Amino acid sequence: MTATLHYLDRRDGHEPVAGAKTKRNPLISLKGVGLNFGSHEVLRDIDVEIGEGEFVCVIGPSGCGKTTLLRILAGLIRASRGSVSYRGQIQTEPARDIAIVFQDYANALLPWRTASANVSLALEAAGTPRAERKDRIAALLEKVGLSKHADKYPSEMSGGMQQRLQIARCLAQNPSVILMDEPFGALDAMTRQKLQDEILSIVSDSNVTAFFVTHDLEEAIYLGDRVIALEPNPGRIAELIDVPLARPRNQLTTREEPEFLALRRKLFDFVMRYE
Amino acid sequence: MMRPVNLAWFVASLMVTVLLVAVWQWISNHGYVSKVFLPGPDRAWAALMRDYGSGKLFTEVGETLLRMALGWLVASVIGIALGAVIGISPVARTWIAPSLELIRPLPASAIAPVAIVFLGMTDNMILLLIAFGSIWPMLLTTIHGFSNVHPRLDEVARVLRLGRLERIYKIALPAAMPDILGGLRLGLTIALILAVVGEMITVQGGLGSRILLAARAFRAPDIFAGVIMLGLIGLVTNVALSALERRLLRWQPAAAV
Amino acid sequence: MKALKGFALPIAFLVLWQVWAMVVGLHSDTLGAAPVDIAVAFLAGIRDGSILDATGMTLTAAAGGLAMGAALGILAGFLFGLLPPLSRLSRITVEVLRPVPAVAILPIALLVFGFGYAMEIAIIAFACFFPVMLLTEAAIRQITPRLMEVARVMRLSSVQRTSKIVFPAVLPRLFVAFRLAAGVALIVSVTVEIAANPQGLGYRLMLAGQSLRPADMFATLFWVGLIGWALNWALVRTEKKLFPFHSLRRIEE
Repeated sequence: MTATLHYLDRRDGHEPVAGAKTKRNPLISLKGVGLNFGSHEVLRDIDVEIGEGEFVCVIGPSGCGKTTLLRILAGLIRASRGSVSYRGQIQTEPARDIAIVFQDYANALLPWRTASANVSLALEAAGTPRAERKDRIAALLEKVGLSKHADKYPSEMSGGMQQRLQIARCLAQNPSVILMDEPFGALDAMTRQKLQDEILSIVSDSNVTAFFVTHDLEEAIYLGDRVIALEPNPGRIAELIDVPLARPRNQLTTREEPEFLALRRKLFDFVMRYE
Repeated sequence: MMRPVNLAWFVASLMVTVLLVAVWQWISNHGYVSKVFLPGPDRAWAALMRDYGSGKLFTEVGETLLRMALGWLVASVIGIALGAVIGISPVARTWIAPSLELIRPLPASAIAPVAIVFLGMTDNMILLLIAFGSIWPMLLTTIHGFSNVHPRLDEVARVLRLGRLERIYKIALPAAMPDILGGLRLGLTIALILAVVGEMITVQGGLGSRILLAARAFRAPDIFAGVIMLGLIGLVTNVALSALERRLLRWQPAAAV
Repeated sequence: MKALKGFALPIAFLVLWQVWAMVVGLHSDTLGAAPVDIAVAFLAGIRDGSILDATGMTLTAAAGGLAMGAALGILAGFLFGLLPPLSRLSRITVEVLRPVPAVAILPIALLVFGFGYAMEIAIIAFACFFPVMLLTEAAIRQITPRLMEVARVMRLSSVQRTSKIVFPAVLPRLFVAFRLAAGVALIVSVTVEIAANPQGLGYRLMLAGQSLRPADMFATLFWVGLIGWALNWALVRTEKKLFPFHSLRRIEE
């Protein structure tokens, strides 16, 4: 692994591509990242910078490595090549203020703890004093709309509620970055739309940086400031697309804007090439 | 309180049992089966009451219960502790698990003769027998529970940066709890059986000794009285443990029928 | 490589045991016995036929009890599974009889049959009956309603439905119940022989212990364990061969 500490370095063939927000405050920087599982090359030459408060979505056909990329950002896997910098430092293990929302929420929640207790886990891990915890948990559950279900077990909650609970636990980490791995993939369409808007408001409230993996093209455009399109075998960045749609986004009007439709066509064509 | 239809079935079921007891009494009264082998419920009950009055019942039940409970407790503590250590460490599992698989099919009671050689016909021998026999389900299920924590939970622990001890106490242990509790329940069943076997062999008092001696003396009512008590012990401990299990595991999703 | 590691512990244990025995100076009439002596005793037992005789007795009783208990259990399980009202009526009776440990039946069987095969078979049958019955009933309950609807649509008679749909559907689970009951049968037979019945491997074990022949005792002990292991292994392989498409591992209690 080669070490780099400067944000807008130009290295041969590895010019980091930045979006509008990035040029101001790059938070995460990936340079020449590649990953092999054994002899199988999963990711190659990933160069991207993500700025503070940016909402970046990642799309691509199955098997392009988007989940793997997310896990590298999380610090759960070490890249085989290249470097991952977070706040200017090489990342070797999960950082305290990076949170992950997993797709299989049922497996990511502690089934033997109530909703409040699940949120509490993150606070306990961070060493929050007991007296403070109660209020913070209440506030977080309020934020995701689960106040009435504080004493319920995950098995007593619907899929959407469980996912919200996972988001609440992530927020309890006071994260600067939230990584989301197809978080709404297992939910029905209506719940998905509701949660999309909720995540947008949460993210904008706290100026959190979001990294969102999905296979739903429209979702990627609806949510993101930028969309990273990965092509498979091995996973490489095919395109970086800016999403200049106005905020706040609206499920009805935004999705009918000509710009939205144009981007949708573009991404659709891209994915079609590989399916 | 149960829903009315369930209550109806409960009562009906109870009546069937009562009916069977009545049939038993009838058979005994008319002598279709020799009273030597099948005393009527009335005589079994009389034997029970007699010993209850003299306090002998309490003593015997108490002895069996005490042995069972003590042996089971010791086995639980060792079994769970050991199981946790082995279950958590993949290295330990590779080296140790195959040996456990070799010992598993051995009938626990086969240890009895060996225990007698070393400890004689004593109380301690029975305790050793119970502990050795009942530890296996608890050990094995604990290992299974600790080694099958969902990888996602491991990742959550890493992302939240939980310490080693916290991981074991807050994630691995609760995750393994269903398996551990199942093992404890099975262990208790085995503990009761081995207590009876031990008492039969060593004739050191307790229900096991009682029923075997009664058999040798052809005192059938005494046998039945003892068997009834043993069945009761088995029933009560099982129900109690199941209730505890349900309480501790109330977070589990309702099982599909 | 992994398999070799698994054997390391037992082998080390045996070696240490042998060394300890030699150091302490164990003789065959003291409390312990060295692994080598045990092996010798085992071979002697094979040669003079005593081990095989005893094995035959134990296995005969186990097989007899298993056959009876399993047959009755399957019958009852089918009855209760196909006629739920019957099951609900007998619920309390079953729940009261089930927790009685099989060994508690021993004195009754002893009284009625005296020593010998009959008594042992009766106890084993009792021990095998309930688990088989409960598992059979559960297996029938698990047959998807869809299959039962198919039977109705095809207008199959009760007998045809039972033989053509119900039976094949539950067969894999029945085999698992049988496998578990076989284990129980072996354990109970050895237990009965240790506690009372003067025949078979359990008795041989007790006799060797009481006569201060520890090498013989340990040899019989290992042999019993080996038989238990071999029986389970054989049944698991048969299960896999007969029902390769079923993942029934989770039914292990």
